[in-house]
Amino acid sequence: MIPLIMTNAKIEKKHNIIWRLFSSVRLTIVLLILLAVASIIGTLIPQASQRESAEFAMGLSPVWFRIFSFLDLFDMYHSLWFRFLIGCLSANLIICSLNRFPGTWSLFRAPVRPDREKPFKDLLPGQHFFAKGDISHVSDKVGQFLKSHYRKTLAKADKDRYFFYAEKGGYSRFGVYVVHTSVLLILIGALAGSFFGFEAFVNIIEGDQIDTVSLRKRDEELKLGFAVRCDSFTVDFYDNGMPKEYRSELTFIADEKEAEKKTLMVNHPVQFRGITFYQASYGTIPGKKVHLKIIKNDAKNHAITLETETGAEVKLPGNEGTFSVTGVKANFMDTGPAVQIAVRPIEGDEVNFWVFKGYEAIQKKLPGPMLMSPKFNPSAFKPYTFILEGMETGYYTGLQVNRDPGVPIVWTGFFLIIAGFIITFFTSHKRIWVRLLPDKKGISVSIAGAASRNQVGLERELIHLTKGLNAHVEG
Amino acid sequence: MLDSIILSSITFVYFGAFVLYLLMMVMARDYFGRLASIVTGVTFIGHTLAIVLRWIRSHQMGIGHAPMSNLYESLIFFAWAVILLYLIVENRTKNRTLGPFITPLAFLAIAYASFSPDISEGIQPLIPALKSNWLIAHVITCFFGYAAFGLSFGLSIMYLLKRLDSPERGNKFLAIIPGKGIVDELNYQMVIIGFLMLTLGIITGSVWAHSAWGTYWSWDPKETWSLITWLIYASVIHSRQVRGWKGKRIALLCLAGFLCVLFTYFGVNYLAGLHSYAKS
Ligand code: HEM
Repeated sequence: MIPLIMTNAKIEKKHNIIWRLFSSVRLTIVLLILLAVASIIGTLIPQASQRESAEFAMGLSPVWFRIFSFLDLFDMYHSLWFRFLIGCLSANLIICSLNRFPGTWSLFRAPVRPDREKPFKDLLPGQHFFAKGDISHVSDKVGQFLKSHYRKTLAKADKDRYFFYAEKGGYSRFGVYVVHTSVLLILIGALAGSFFGFEAFVNIIEGDQIDTVSLRKRDEELKLGFAVRCDSFTVDFYDNGMPKEYRSELTFIADEKEAEKKTLMVNHPVQFRGITFYQASYGTIPGKKVHLKIIKNDAKNHAITLETETGAEVKLPGNEGTFSVTGVKANFMDTGPAVQIAVRPIEGDEVNFWVFKGYEAIQKKLPGPMLMSPKFNPSAFKPYTFILEGMETGYYTGLQVNRDPGVPIVWTGFFLIIAGFIITFFTSHKRIWVRLLPDKKGISVSIAGAASRNQVGLERELIHLTKGLNAHVEG
Repeated sequence: MLDSIILSSITFVYFGAFVLYLLMMVMARDYFGRLASIVTGVTFIGHTLAIVLRWIRSHQMGIGHAPMSNLYESLIFFAWAVILLYLIVENRTKNRTLGPFITPLAFLAIAYASFSPDISEGIQPLIPALKSNWLIAHVITCFFGYAAFGLSFGLSIMYLLKRLDSPERGNKFLAIIPGKGIVDELNYQMVIIGFLMLTLGIITGSVWAHSAWGTYWSWDPKETWSLITWLIYASVIHSRQVRGWKGKRIALLCLAGFLCVLFTYFGVNYLAGLHSYAKS
């Protein structure tokens, strides 16, 4: 870089109001607080992703509704103005860093004179001692000691006076930049995810296979480019009935071949060709087989039980006609399994009605008028009463299907923000000056220092160092 | 259950320690202070033991997991972290004046956990989503963060009280509090530890959410409130580090920050009640 151009640019920057605004930390604080306030509002107003959102919006007067919609308050975190705030914060961060980095760099690289006087003002008693012997010998010892404790050391002799400089932790000054770069990385990762990734879901019935999934954000299907088969789905329960583990056995099929078999559990997602599958939900679906009991309400009250499949035509025991199961529900209006029966008598119209598994439970749950309806009367075709004894059920597994190329970037940002934080706040740039002067009482050795943070720690370290140096020189 | 008995009774002992610390301040007798430290230290050992016992008990029930999985256990752990951090600070600064400001946090948390009718003390098995080492890391880091912010809260109150002190006033309680500069500096150190822990907490929480649901951030109220807290403390750090704010303004910001912590912890449940929030 040519220094002249840099200086010109610097002068220009000084005059540019926008640059000045974005290089101020005051703006950072204002933006951080604005973002906090906006987020508070976002948690008070139910957002579009929450169930209560529609209800809340309906409760507003038309004027307020217009204002809220105009400000995008129902989907605030994705609104233009919220993104604008985050954009401002990023610009603030970048411009601030660009502004201050040259200064930090020159502090880091600045040539330091070992023979400075200023650090030696206000020395504590613990930072000074007298050594005996030949001054050049003592000076060798001091140099040796500093070299073994510090990364960078300088020495200078001026007639019979000796000066040393040593430092460590210079990188500490760059911690802030690491932190701020990580904040940007996390934002970039999130952005990359929303541009180049997708979130979708799919339900797969045990034994079935799928090759498309439904996108969450848009009402669209997405072709995966391979197929996924659910070989089995199992739920384990604890003794108290709480779910213990959900497990889907999946087979990935690519190019007509079984490419891979994997077990999917909650908290243990599986990946195939860059797409990640999460165990999100499950449900039961009725199978084909139905167990029915049919009672003929005559003098004998004859009862038979039989197994049938949906759609199959079955003769009634007394040959009054035929019936078939035309519909099955694993959970009918939250009351449990139910089947729809269609009876086709030899004479007369078809009779349709629902038969429930737990009829007593239904009687409590369904409102009276509904129960009176012939549609829910298991004895609607006289003289028979149908009872549902059981039904084969199967499971389907509900999968969340995502691709997010931003995740590695975000994870890197997470790692670096912690590393940067520790560098910034738990290390410091320490500089040490040592001066040897001939004196009547021997050789006067003084140790002074400066640190970029934690002055108390520095004082402690200086006193410790003085003791160590004293011991080394004597020994 | 021995662990529950120990836990509900240490509430009273922590309260006793609080009274002793207070006596030390009001009567200006170091004797009470030494006693308070001993009581707090011994109670802390009992507290630790109870947590370990509870852990062992969960294994005996065949559903072993770290005792940090529900509101009851988290409150107990919060109190534990507060006292641990306080004892470290007391030991390093050789000063006990923070005691009367911090012990109430511990006994209130445990009392709320043990005696509130809304909080179940039972050991529950973990549902599949909660079975994750990231979640354990998440809880530990978050609660150490909250504990550090709790200490910062105590120090901020101490700072604001100390401002009222003057030689003419001759108030023993205020006179015993260390100088404003020292309190302010210690407060800032607590904010830094808390901020580091909260950052780690948010990170481990996101990693966990990502492995459980597939998204590392979904703007749910609890997540959002932890971000709000993070933003407040980030502005504390910046206003001090870069703009050189000190003293009263930092103390007030820290009070606001701790209110956010409390809201993240408890208020969000209230929000949830308000909107009967449920994740679909
Ligand atoms: C883990 C979080 C963060 C920490 C620990 C942190 C720390 C710091 C520190 C110590 C400084 C002073 C630098 C100096 O004096 O040279 C600083 C400055 C600054 N911080 Fe942060 N910061 C964090 C996050 C953020 C965030 C989220 C933003 C928002 C965009 C931000 C924006 C700034 C700005 C604009 C400056 C002033 C410019 C500069 O010194 O480079 N920081 N930060």
